[in-house]
Amino acid sequence: MDSHLPEHIVTATDVHRHFGEGDAAVHALDGISVDFPRGCFTAIMGPSGSGKSTLMHVLAGLDRPTSGSVVVDGVEISDLDDKQLTELRRDKVGFVFQFFNLLPVLTAEENIRLPLSIAGRKADPELMAKLVDAVDLGDRLSHRPAELSGGQQQRVAVARALISQPAVVFADEPTGNLDSGTSEEVLALLRRAVDEFGQTVVMVTHDANAAAIADRVLVLVDGRIVRDAEAGSAERVHDLLKQDTVA
Amino acid sequence: MTSVALRNLLARKARTLLTSLAVVLGVMMVSGTYILTDTIDQSFGNIFEQSNAGIDAVVSAKETVETDDNQESPFSADILDRVQGVEGVEAADGGIFDTQVSILDKDGEPIGGNGAPSFGASVVADRFDALSYPEGRKPAADDEVVIDKQTAGRAGYEVGDRVRVAGKEDATAYELVGVATLGDVDSFGGASIALFTLDEIRRVTRKEGEFDQISVAAAPGVSPEELTRRLDEALPASVEAQTGQEDTQAQKDDVGEFISILKTAMLIFSGVSLFVAAFLIFNTFSITVAQRTREFSMLRTIGASRRQLVRTVVFEAAAIGLLASVLGLLAGIGFAPAINALFHALEIDLPNEGSVVATRTIVLAFALGIGLTVLASLIPALRITRVPPVTGLREGAVLETPKSHRLRSALATGLTAIGAVSMLLGVFGALSPGELWIGVGAAAVFFGVALLSPRLVGPMAALVGRPLERFRGVSGRLARENAVRNPGRTASTAAALMIGLALVSFVAIFASGLSSSITAAFDKTVKADLILTNTDGFSDISAGVTGAVADVDGVEVASPTRFAQANTAGDEGGYLTLVDTDTVGSVMTLDWEEGDDAVLAGLGKTDAVIDEKWGREKGLSVGDDFKAETSSGKTLSYTVRGTFVDRADFNGDYVASDVTAAAYGEPNSLQQVLLSLEDGADTGAVRKDIDALVADRYPTVEPKDKGEFGDFISGEVNQLLGVVYALLALAVIVSLFGIVNTLALSIHERTRELGLIRAVGMSRRQVRRIIRYEAVITALIGAVLGSVLGVLFALIMSRPLADEGFALSIPVGTLIFLLILAIVAGVIAAIGPARRASRLDVLDALAYE
Ligand SMILES: Nc1ncnc2c1ncn2[C@@H]1O[C@H](COP(=O)(O)OP(=O)(O)OP(=O)(O)O)[C@@H](O)[C@H]1O
Ligand SMILES: [Mg+2]
Repeated sequence: MDSHLPEHIVTATDVHRHFGEGDAAVHALDGISVDFPRGCFTAIMGPSGSGKSTLMHVLAGLDRPTSGSVVVDGVEISDLDDKQLTELRRDKVGFVFQFFNLLPVLTAEENIRLPLSIAGRKADPELMAKLVDAVDLGDRLSHRPAELSGGQQQRVAVARALISQPAVVFADEPTGNLDSGTSEEVLALLRRAVDEFGQTVVMVTHDANAAAIADRVLVLVDGRIVRDAEAGSAERVHDLLKQDTVA
Repeated sequence: MTSVALRNLLARKARTLLTSLAVVLGVMMVSGTYILTDTIDQSFGNIFEQSNAGIDAVVSAKETVETDDNQESPFSADILDRVQGVEGVEAADGGIFDTQVSILDKDGEPIGGNGAPSFGASVVADRFDALSYPEGRKPAADDEVVIDKQTAGRAGYEVGDRVRVAGKEDATAYELVGVATLGDVDSFGGASIALFTLDEIRRVTRKEGEFDQISVAAAPGVSPEELTRRLDEALPASVEAQTGQEDTQAQKDDVGEFISILKTAMLIFSGVSLFVAAFLIFNTFSITVAQRTREFSMLRTIGASRRQLVRTVVFEAAAIGLLASVLGLLAGIGFAPAINALFHALEIDLPNEGSVVATRTIVLAFALGIGLTVLASLIPALRITRVPPVTGLREGAVLETPKSHRLRSALATGLTAIGAVSMLLGVFGALSPGELWIGVGAAAVFFGVALLSPRLVGPMAALVGRPLERFRGVSGRLARENAVRNPGRTASTAAALMIGLALVSFVAIFASGLSSSITAAFDKTVKADLILTNTDGFSDISAGVTGAVADVDGVEVASPTRFAQANTAGDEGGYLTLVDTDTVGSVMTLDWEEGDDAVLAGLGKTDAVIDEKWGREKGLSVGDDFKAETSSGKTLSYTVRGTFVDRADFNGDYVASDVTAAAYGEPNSLQQVLLSLEDGADTGAVRKDIDALVADRYPTVEPKDKGEFGDFISGEVNQLLGVVYALLALAVIVSLFGIVNTLALSIHERTRELGLIRAVGMSRRQVRRIIRYEAVITALIGAVLGSVLGVLFALIMSRPLADEGFALSIPVGTLIFLLILAIVAGVIAAIGPARRASRLDVLDALAYE
């Protein structure tokens, strides 16, 4: 398999996603074609309601496109049935949400292991050790989410997304709920995942500083990609956004 | 604010319905009970009124002893002449109405089998005849018979067939010349009736020259009361006259007594279901109030007062109660026939034509349904007052339950202890009425344990959940965690199931103790090789049986035994046993306290041996005298010659010689013949001969060896147990709704969590598994608590019986079966909620609220 790894982990071709019918229909995604190369950290930006979350859901197999094709790690996912989608989510995709990422009844460590427990697999001890180190929870690993700070919770959520070594991790505003200090810890963790583990990450954010940590920035407006550029500094990201509003 | 409440109910239709279902079942049982018993009451009333139509007065023997079989004593036929001589009597006719005549089906077995009454009667003069004959005619010759239409239909007899009937004489075949109905109803309330000529029924019942009853019609201008007065004046003291109405009323009262026992028993079970339902309402409201914390908090911020919020919830409860009452009442109308069908299956045939829905029933249904629901919602509703404005709006805010754990535990322990003590005091008669205190005590124990049980949930969930976790990994783990997440909720859900299962296991334990005690006592005293009784176990058999079986080759002795009733030493209708002193020694013994078998064999006409317990009660010991007033009106004197222990109460108050059987009104009938076989006799061959003999001449008799007799006794106990289980099953079903409800509400609450685990790759099947295990854990907690309480109750309730040799045995098999049942119940309860949880759309779930 290694010999013919696809260059792009995720490929979307002319993806549309409509909600509702007729005049009231909302074109949340209006013809999106985009590739996400392996080991690349992509930030998706855009005004509220521009379709960022919808795109993530469609790419992660949480939602189905109205039309168009999505290929994740060589698999066309628009034809998969529920069972296959479940397996896709379990094995190939990691997801980090803005809120409510952890099961309150499990400890931090159990939450990290959850995707593997669900699949009935054992964690690779080396990877687990690395993640535990990266998450930097120390002795709080056996605590339940309610006893952790928001940043700690979100780092656990990121570790959970990484534990199954998915083809791609999607993060929808992972820092949307955090102050700048804690945001940085979470972003650093994502960055480390890309640099050290070669993980592919796609992240939605409203924060130019957050986007600046990525390799590439996509800007979405009204369900279309209007900008696709290298990230660079926060100022540059700001510029990208401004150009967009002008355009 | 009331519109908020209504909107809420409408918005959550499924939940509203589910919540009300528990109450619906309870109300259904109560209203069904009243509908059924009212209907039976009325139907019997109709039957009695119809059969007494045209009768102004009835003359019958004066009953000195109230016997269980309601058989009136016959009196001399001369009385009829004297009745006819009374001024104001226009017409009078005597008849026989015997309760111990059986119609045989085509296989020669008595129709009605277990205990359905079967009557034999004589044809009476047309003007007194309440029967109509839709087919054929009345019997005119001694070899003709008429039977009731229902029985004919059931056995497949048609006019012209030969029908065998067994009474006190050998079974005889008759030509069926007609079928009878009572006015316009085919049914005699499940009884079968055979109609003969007067001569023939007298021969069959051995009432030569006697009548059971004389019907009298008054001459114009003479009121029934006046007629009755004149009859009483003219007739000897051994008989009495009643107006037709009084007689009808007396008959109604007789069945009324039985029906009220039935009613009370069923109401007790209904009460259990309602009690369980109250638990569930309480639970459901606790959960929904907690879940709506945000909503309430928001309403508070916009200015709703606490009182308004409480009122909203109480109003919701009242609306649910109203809905439940309506549904319950409707269901009750359907439930009554269902229960009747259950009785029917157990061969208890009761007449019920139509459905009598009395105003009282309707009022009660609404009062119970609404009252109970509102009452149960009160505490959860009051919790709203603790919702602070604003803070509730915080993400994931939950209502803090008060942390007064110590107080709660103390209260719970106290309540449990008080309940147990109340039960004990009730059982020992220190508090009366005992039943009430036992009931109240049991309810208190249930409450106490329910209050304590949140503390037990953790350890018990661990006990049950650990193995699940080992085998099922994360599904098991999550199920266990979810079960302990809100211990109070799991506890009260489990408590609802606990109540039903505690009663089931109590009854099982108690019944198994009862039947083993009876069997043990039986083994100890009965030496006979074969026991001959009526097929139903208690009705009369012909006195001729004794001589007939004694002649069979290989039979050493055949000893007749009579179980009679008399007013013994002041007790109305006390039980006693009459034995044949010549033969009794080889077939039975007594558990002697004072005396030996020689005393029994040597009993003279005025000697008796008495039950030591009864003796203690009456202050009688060996050498003392006591009197017994018999059903024939005679008073017999006895001297105590010995005392025996009789824990299973086989022999009643005393055992005496049967030379006085006639005085007890039992010259021609007996209840048991005990046989012992000659040494070395071929048991199988003798048995075959006896079987053939009874089949030919006494088809109502059934021979049993000791083993079979023991089985018969446990069979009877088990049959009763079956009815009790069926009624308790409803309480268990109600509690299953509770599990469904709690699960559904919890899932609703955890929608986002479910979305999350699905998003990280859990399959639908795994989600279903979590919910299922959660239900099983809850059910098992209920079952374990219930079994423990059941054992505890059995211990308490059997205390006073312990010194009477009641051996409490724990039916381990049954208890294990109950646990398995609980698991199955949990799995079933989880089906719906699990399906719903697994079908949640991942994105919707995540976006939820
Ligand atoms: N389930 C749905 N039904 C109908 N319309 C929807 C649904 N989900 C999203 N939309 C619409 O689709 C459009 C895109 O929504 P989406 O959530 O993708 O925006 P977003 O870019 O993530 O916004 P934000 O930055 O506020 O999170 C919006 O107009 C939204 O109203
Ligand atoms: Mg979004």
